Amino acid sequence: MFTEELKAFRRLGFRHVLLQALNFASVIASGLMIWKGLGLITNSESPIVVVLSGSMEPAFYRGDLLFLTNPAAERYHNGDITVYKVPGADIPIVHRVLETHDGKSRGSSPIVQRLLTKGDNNEVNDIELYRGLDYLERKHIVGKVRGFLPYIGYVTIAMNDFPQLKYALLGGLGLLALVQRE
Amino acid sequence: SPPSPDRPPGPLSLPPLPGPREVVKVNNYSTTELKNACDDAVKRYLSRPELFQQNHQHTDVRLALGWLSVFVAGGTGLYGYKVEFEQSKPVVWSNFVRRTDRSFSRYMLLTFTQTLYSYFIEGDIVFVGKRKTFSKRIITERITLSSRTIPVSSSSSNSTPSSTITPPQYSLSLSYVRSTSANKSLLAKGKTQARAPYSRFFDAEGGMDADAFERWVGEVVEEGMGGLPASKES
Repeated sequence: MFTEELKAFRRLGFRHVLLQALNFASVIASGLMIWKGLGLITNSESPIVVVLSGSMEPAFYRGDLLFLTNPAAERYHNGDITVYKVPGADIPIVHRVLETHDGKSRGSSPIVQRLLTKGDNNEVNDIELYRGLDYLERKHIVGKVRGFLPYIGYVTIAMNDFPQLKYALLGGLGLLALVQRE
Repeated sequence: SPPSPDRPPGPLSLPPLPGPREVVKVNNYSTTELKNACDDAVKRYLSRPELFQQNHQHTDVRLALGWLSVFVAGGTGLYGYKVEFEQSKPVVWSNFVRRTDRSFSRYMLLTFTQTLYSYFIEGDIVFVGKRKTFSKRIITERITLSSRTIPVSSSSSNSTPSSTITPPQYSLSLSYVRSTSANKSLLAKGKTQARAPYSRFFDAEGGMDADAFERWVGEVVEEGMGGLPASKES
């Protein structure tokens, strides 16, 4: 299979190889930029996340895909489902807002709020998870859940648990992009 | 119109390359592959040293814009990776343009320019070439070839119930200008168009008959250059 492609590359010259490599690179580049653009529009660091634990059952199950936005000008209310990251911890947590304490914000300065959260399926609130903090601030919040898709997140979970799958997928896509033309 | 005595040699007057040729094999069912194979053959044929020198401007612009946008995207990705989200878009409610915003719009601008260039300026062009020959005076020739695929079409005439299906065809358009050095006076100018079904150049397994294709291209080019010289009429 490869001899044909290698012969073609030699015959068509250096510019052609650059063009094919560009095909591959621009697929990745446009994927990256679409992700960044989504982050800008939603004002969220990671607008699409996967639920990893069962702490929000029966609302969300492990493997659900969540869509987030983080409107900077809106206050969060009790009952909102938020995704937050505690400083020092890597994993974002999806829990419901239990208490909000609003601070005064004047004019165009950012909204000040302190939040307490709890998972629907947990017995206690999240104070234990806050690593020393008594409450969450808006800067810890990744976003508020606006919608979800069930089961889709299992693909990401599988790729994280079996990294070979991730590399195999990337490698296969790369090969396809390099040998196909337009 | 009879060719002028100044006419430089066209491609059909060149002897074919010695030695066995590599056979190009494509998937017969993909018109994209068929067209690409024909375009590559046109480029190879016309960039022979005795013929035209290929102008790579369109390819180079596409490469430059493309790779530039890839690097902008890469830089944005790296920056976002190193810097916290909130810092990378400074939460300062002033006129300060957000960092990620800027590289994002640079990328959009590059992609947009690329698309415009490719659609409006490059279009269907596959080969742009130039040649300088020295007979009594320096003669400059410029040639541009564009190609497209005419898809399968079936036409049914009203009088007969049967319909004729035309197989996909390769349409080659050519524009040619011949002038003295520094374009002082125009010697010849021509625009030709020709089409041929792909089945004429590709066999059942997808192997390309390069000689037949080159002969056909040569005829189109010679016609654009201003008719065949009398001695070479077939």
